Amino acid sequence: MAEHNAAPAAYAKPLPRITPDNRPFWEAARRHELHLPHCADCARAFWPPGPVCPWCFEENLSWRALSGRGVISSWVLFHRAWFPSFAGDIPYAVVQVELEEGPRLTSGTLNLPHDRLAVGLPVEVAFDDVTPAITLPKFRARRN
Amino acid sequence: MPARERRAALRDRTAIVGVGASVFGRGLPQSQLQLGLRAFKAALDDAGLRREDVDGLAINLGWPLGTDYDRVAETFGLDIRYANQTWTHGRFVTLALQHAALAVHAGLAECVACLTACSFTQEKDLLGGPHDIEGMREEGGTHGENPVYGQTSPSGGAALAFSRYMARYGATGDQLAAVPMALRRHAALNPAAIMREPLTLEAYRASRWVIQPLRIYDYCLVSDGACCVLVTSVERARDLAQRPVLLSGMQGIRSGRGEFIFGPPGLGINQQPESARTPLAADLGVYEMAGIDRAAVDAFYTYDAFSPLVLFALERFGFCGPGEAAAWVQGGRIGPGGELPVNTSGGLLSEAHVSGWNSIVELVRQLRGACGPRQVSDAHVMQWGTPWGDSVLFHN
Ligand SMILES: [Zn+2]
Repeated sequence: MAEHNAAPAAYAKPLPRITPDNRPFWEAARRHELHLPHCADCARAFWPPGPVCPWCFEENLSWRALSGRGVISSWVLFHRAWFPSFAGDIPYAVVQVELEEGPRLTSGTLNLPHDRLAVGLPVEVAFDDVTPAITLPKFRARRN
Repeated sequence: MPARERRAALRDRTAIVGVGASVFGRGLPQSQLQLGLRAFKAALDDAGLRREDVDGLAINLGWPLGTDYDRVAETFGLDIRYANQTWTHGRFVTLALQHAALAVHAGLAECVACLTACSFTQEKDLLGGPHDIEGMREEGGTHGENPVYGQTSPSGGAALAFSRYMARYGATGDQLAAVPMALRRHAALNPAAIMREPLTLEAYRASRWVIQPLRIYDYCLVSDGACCVLVTSVERARDLAQRPVLLSGMQGIRSGRGEFIFGPPGLGINQQPESARTPLAADLGVYEMAGIDRAAVDAFYTYDAFSPLVLFALERFGFCGPGEAAAWVQGGRIGPGGELPVNTSGGLLSEAHVSGWNSIVELVRQLRGACGPRQVSDAHVMQWGTPWGDSVLFHN
């Protein structure tokens, strides 16, 4: 079990929709691991999750741990709180991260000052335990 | 018959014979059906047709924003034998027009009414935040929404795309400002436009961020209004009140891992492979089908919900190269009297957000020569082409 620092009742932001397609992603995140579907035939990870490899159309799939490293491929700063639960975070960053293994994820940042946001910035995954059941993978600047 | 010949057989076989619009405004009290009725009756009057002449509907409204085709048919007392239902997204404008033309050409309908009606000021909760149910899809909504991380509103996808575009090509916010400024200059010549006062670069620079790198002037209006476009066969069109505007060429929406709805192919948003992708012949079938060269296009119309989309559409159809549009739109090139006027009614940025149909109505009026002070001189060919790659080429 992961440790949970946040008070569960206090978390008012939207939570992921868990489906048969994405359940392993969220189960791994809860263990503080970043897993993506991987095709045994063409040896590539892909996203979003689904029942078939989008490149070779084969179904020899498994979920595998990724390095968790990547670079910011795009970023934005929200200055408007469409979600009242994000109002206290304004302005907040949303990033797309291109993982070393290829796929890009939309995510948030942890301890990443806004003046460091840049396309190409090396980042690594970090985990934010937001409720007892849900951990959100986010990204912070790489330390090396 | 090869596809190329089948396409050629459809060239200039259908026409827009009537256009109509409701009043455009913000906070209008009318329902979508009330606005839609004004547009529908105006289009019938414009064409010299009666309600009984319309036997097809291509509906670009409805869930999650209102009523469906059957409610429209029931309410207006129509007898419909062909219907195509889409809902309120700009991505479905071309699709509705194309279905109308295809149904007429195939003989499934004689005259198809394309109808949209928007009540965005009443329904703005659907455009981002907790009530945007479309944006709540797992692994991201239709414009790249991901509410878990606060990525919401269709504009979030345009912001992600433009942020990457800036980094890749060195485009600047000042360059982007040329888009809303040009469209505002068009709108100043259009009495129906909601926003007509001049927009200066200084005002643009001083305006607030919404989702950085987008400022408030990069956003379409949140407005209300309806448009209707009547499509019939070219034979029928010859007997009607207006000079027909022919549907000469078309190409469909593109979709796949290389596509992101609010970014050009090759940009590298979501799972797009990164490249500096110049459109190939296979990406430009609209010109080949019409037998009309891109250089003959007198004005270009696109879905300008957010100003970067204009840049992406221009690159998509090869008016300039990948990464070049931000520089290309400078110097009045897309404004009134420019080399390629874009969205001459003021578009969604300055006229009204009628899902893009206000631009279809506008280009039809332009091709009739009926646009008064904003008339594009000697206009024969106009193109509707979207950032997601579909298009219709019209000529008079
Ligand atoms: Zn594969």
